[in-house]
Amino acid sequence: MDAYFYIVLVVGLVSTVICLTAGLLKKAPNDTTILSVAAVELSLLVYLVGSIIRVAGGETIAGEPWEFWGYLITALILPIGAVYWSILERTRWSNFVLAAVGVTALVMAARMNQIWY
Amino acid sequence: MTEKSSPGDTGRASGGSLPATGGSLPATGGAAPKDTRNTGPGRLLIAVYAVFAISATARAGYQIITKFSEAPLAYLLSAFAAVVYLVATVSLAKAGRTWFKVSVAAVLVELLGVLVVGALSVFDSVNFPHETVWSLFGRGYGYIPLLLPILGLIWLYRRRPAPKPAKGS
Repeated sequence: MDAYFYIVLVVGLVSTVICLTAGLLKKAPNDTTILSVAAVELSLLVYLVGSIIRVAGGETIAGEPWEFWGYLITALILPIGAVYWSILERTRWSNFVLAAVGVTALVMAARMNQIWY
Repeated sequence: MTEKSSPGDTGRASGGSLPATGGSLPATGGAAPKDTRNTGPGRLLIAVYAVFAISATARAGYQIITKFSEAPLAYLLSAFAAVVYLVATVSLAKAGRTWFKVSVAAVLVELLGVLVVGALSVFDSVNFPHETVWSLFGRGYGYIPLLLPILGLIWLYRRRPAPKPAKGS
């Protein structure tokens, strides 16, 4: 597991805890929960840029490259989709949708690490 | 806001225990204003189904393209699971009686699938050595595949369409 994974791990877990707490407190999605999901997106963008630089620098992906990029691109779409889905109906349940982003992102980052090494 | 009431409506009006959410979407044709499952907890359910639809589709596609001959049965099962998740996601998001039935069918098939494939992968691991979403009751996915259809059925039951008003007479 490399630093990119740990960044996604920490940001993802923090985001999930924030959104889960807000949902349990019966709050609708607000700036805090949406920004926490935006932070997950940012951490994945860091992963993306870092990976592009590594590949450009001559590193090779041990597994299937297109599987790795497939995971990464899907992971990048998820936070955007979740935020869109959550602001269409702003109830506490939408915060649970947002909470799912963080854990999903970290699971996908773990898989991306497995493919890379 | 339907002032135009037909005889027999008064008795049925109290049927739905859930209060209509203010500013909800305009009901389609005014036929069944509460006949939707894409609100409240349903939105979380749909989101999780959508993630499983994406991941199962991607996984099945990957398995079939790269190594189909290794385990055709397992990978066809993967593809089947992907279709079930897709149908469940779409049907849960749609309003109306027909989509409700589609949802029930999809979620029941999903429950059956995870139970049968889960059991087979435990007791007949020689013939089912290859991973699918439903192998070992979805252990690779934190048992969510097992939990999801149960929650789905509970949600569908709670949001079942009101009984059809008697026709004619």
